[in-house]
Amino acid sequence: MARYLIKRTLQILLTLFIFLSIVFFLVNAQPGDISHVYSLNPDLPPETRAKLQDLFGVNEPLWKQYLVYVKNTLTGNFGVSFSLYPRTVADVIGERLPRTLVLFLTATVLSFYLGFALGKIVAWRRGGWVEYGSTIGSVTLYTVFTPWFALMMIWLFAFRAGWLPIGKFLDPVEWREAPTSANAVFNQMIITMIVLSVAIFAVFLFTTRKRVAGARLIQAGSIVLTAAVVAGVWIASGVAHLAWDIVEHMILPVGTLTLISFGGAMLLTRNSMLETMREDYVTAARAKGLPEKQVRDRHVARNALLPVVTSFVFSLAFAVDGGIIIESVFSWPGMGQTLISAATTEDLPLAVGAFVFVGIFVLVAHLAADVLYVYLDPRIRY
Amino acid sequence: MSERPVLAVEDLTMHYSIKAGAVRAVDGVTFSIERGQALGLVGESGSGKSSIAMTLLRLLPDNAQILRGKILLDGVDIVPLSEERMREYRWNRISMIFQAAMNSLNPVYKVGEQIIEALEAHLESAREESIERVRRLYDVVNLDPGLIVRYPHEYSGGMRQRAIIAMALACEPDLIIADEPTTALDVIVQDHILREMRSIQAELDMSMIYISHDMAVIAEVSDVVGVMYAGKIVELGGTADVFHSPIHPYTRSLMSAFPSVTGKKRELGTLTGEPPNLLDPPEGCRFHPRCPYATDVCSNQEPPKVRRGNHWAACWNPQGE
Ligand SMILES: Nc1ncnc2c1ncn2[C@@H]1O[C@H](COP(=O)(O)OP(=O)(O)OP(=O)(O)O)[C@@H](O)[C@H]1O
Ligand code: SF4
Ligand SMILES: [Mg+2]
Repeated sequence: MARYLIKRTLQILLTLFIFLSIVFFLVNAQPGDISHVYSLNPDLPPETRAKLQDLFGVNEPLWKQYLVYVKNTLTGNFGVSFSLYPRTVADVIGERLPRTLVLFLTATVLSFYLGFALGKIVAWRRGGWVEYGSTIGSVTLYTVFTPWFALMMIWLFAFRAGWLPIGKFLDPVEWREAPTSANAVFNQMIITMIVLSVAIFAVFLFTTRKRVAGARLIQAGSIVLTAAVVAGVWIASGVAHLAWDIVEHMILPVGTLTLISFGGAMLLTRNSMLETMREDYVTAARAKGLPEKQVRDRHVARNALLPVVTSFVFSLAFAVDGGIIIESVFSWPGMGQTLISAATTEDLPLAVGAFVFVGIFVLVAHLAADVLYVYLDPRIRY
Repeated sequence: MSERPVLAVEDLTMHYSIKAGAVRAVDGVTFSIERGQALGLVGESGSGKSSIAMTLLRLLPDNAQILRGKILLDGVDIVPLSEERMREYRWNRISMIFQAAMNSLNPVYKVGEQIIEALEAHLESAREESIERVRRLYDVVNLDPGLIVRYPHEYSGGMRQRAIIAMALACEPDLIIADEPTTALDVIVQDHILREMRSIQAELDMSMIYISHDMAVIAEVSDVVGVMYAGKIVELGGTADVFHSPIHPYTRSLMSAFPSVTGKKRELGTLTGEPPNLLDPPEGCRFHPRCPYATDVCSNQEPPKVRRGNHWAACWNPQGE
């Protein structure tokens, strides 16, 4: 296992290196170079310009520039953003990336969880209005034109009903007298989410592995308990209303994204289930006299999960860059918006930095998928 | 005093409905098995052997219906039982070694776990006891107990087959149905496993149904042989009787297609023509379009049962004697 992991990590580092090189040469294949952008920018003081030219090494030959670029990238030095001067690229991405990740991870996990749960049931009870309705609904969601659907959601829930804010990350009025920055609150929210999910995951793992009696009760109890503790800590912190403001702004984009990818996940699960149900080991499981639920969950769903996991990882890859449309419609200040504005303002350092981060995220997602696959499918040799 | 048979099947009829009509895969099948007896079912591909097996476990697809007949397990008819009651009979009373034995282990679980799963569905035993039991079963089928914690893909074909047999034995059922248990194996392994199954069966005094299209295999393992043709049993009797003095012309042609059974070559021509379409089987005797002895009556009236002791066949023109 360790050897396999090392091998895969090395392969992924190699891929990342190739990716970095392609980004570099694509950017350099454009007419002119970065120094021209500087000389056309009158806002930059001369000493900063000289420092940056040094940092980028634009006067050096291309191969030397390339080496410097690689070195800078590896040390996390992406330079200064032009359009958001004087903020560094690393700083901008450090702010935007978590926002995108939280939005898309939540939606992707939610949609696959719901899609898998429903697809499992629909495949098992063939026929009837449940299958009919959910299949039509899923196909509709799967094929719907994303910008239109997002706008309809805004129109329905934000404009007509007025339940939710129309867009953006937060409401500036709420934050005028805030004691901390939005990023600080948001980071605390992320930490809360991680703690919460790790705790719940641990409880579930423990109770199912050890076959503890009354597992359901323990699971429900621990969820309620952790939720109560977390809520208590937040209320005590005094910034709970600010966190709630961010949550309110998240509900609509997360809901829209969840609905859009839910359809695909549910259809995929259903098909995968129907295919697995024909396997001989499923007949064998029935012949053994196992209860229906055990046949469905332990034998059919468990094996039908594999293609769904693959699709899940590909969706994660889209989580970073494929969200440009959704982020634009909801004015969500994440990586997608950053990429667009970097491209339209010719903010090369920011564009390169954003590309590199997207690449890293996609590759890390694939590494995670490989590890998960080894765990899920014992036939994979490593 | 004659004991009650472990299994008695009476006039069992099962059809599959498809768009084009009803596939009459099992049609008026009657037979019974005593404790410790091995029944061999032999017949061409598509004659309904697996369909009988699946009907006995009531593991039929949605488009199948049992139209008539009884399946008496120790005197209890399981045809009208609810799914929930039926679950108690499966594996506990009748277990099965599937035709596609190679694929009847789930690739993502350890083989031992899959046997324990069957035990836990029927017995109230602690996990340690179950593991101990699996170890004994592996001993019976000559498998290294170290393999209990291995995954199916780590087993060879022969090892997997032994594990499947161990699984079928797990709940000590009254009856085991083995549907082509060894067809996917090479001849030497096949021979080994058949002989082992035979001795395990004798030792545990279990009843078995062996299903095969291979006369040689059936001759080796069974006490009683049933010959199937187009959804019907056309001849049934003691193995020696059926093989040495077959009554039904179909049985005779099958034997000549497998000369190794008796050693000497027979005069009879080998079987020509295709097995009938079960959607629309021929009138009268279903074998008449291919039968060298067919007479007029064969093509419009069901043939009667001809008995010679415990051996019978359904034919207008019985052979031998
Ligand atoms: N689910 C089904 N729906 C419709 N017809 C079926 C179905 N399953 C089997 N049949 C048909 O029933 C007949 C008997 O099939 P069965 O599998 O019982 O034959 P078999 O004797 O076991 O053959 P083999 O030696 O090839 O395994 C065949 O004509 C087959 O096409
Ligand atoms: S009944 Fe007639 S057709 Fe059928 S096997 Fe006997 S002789 Fe042949
Ligand atoms: Mg078969």
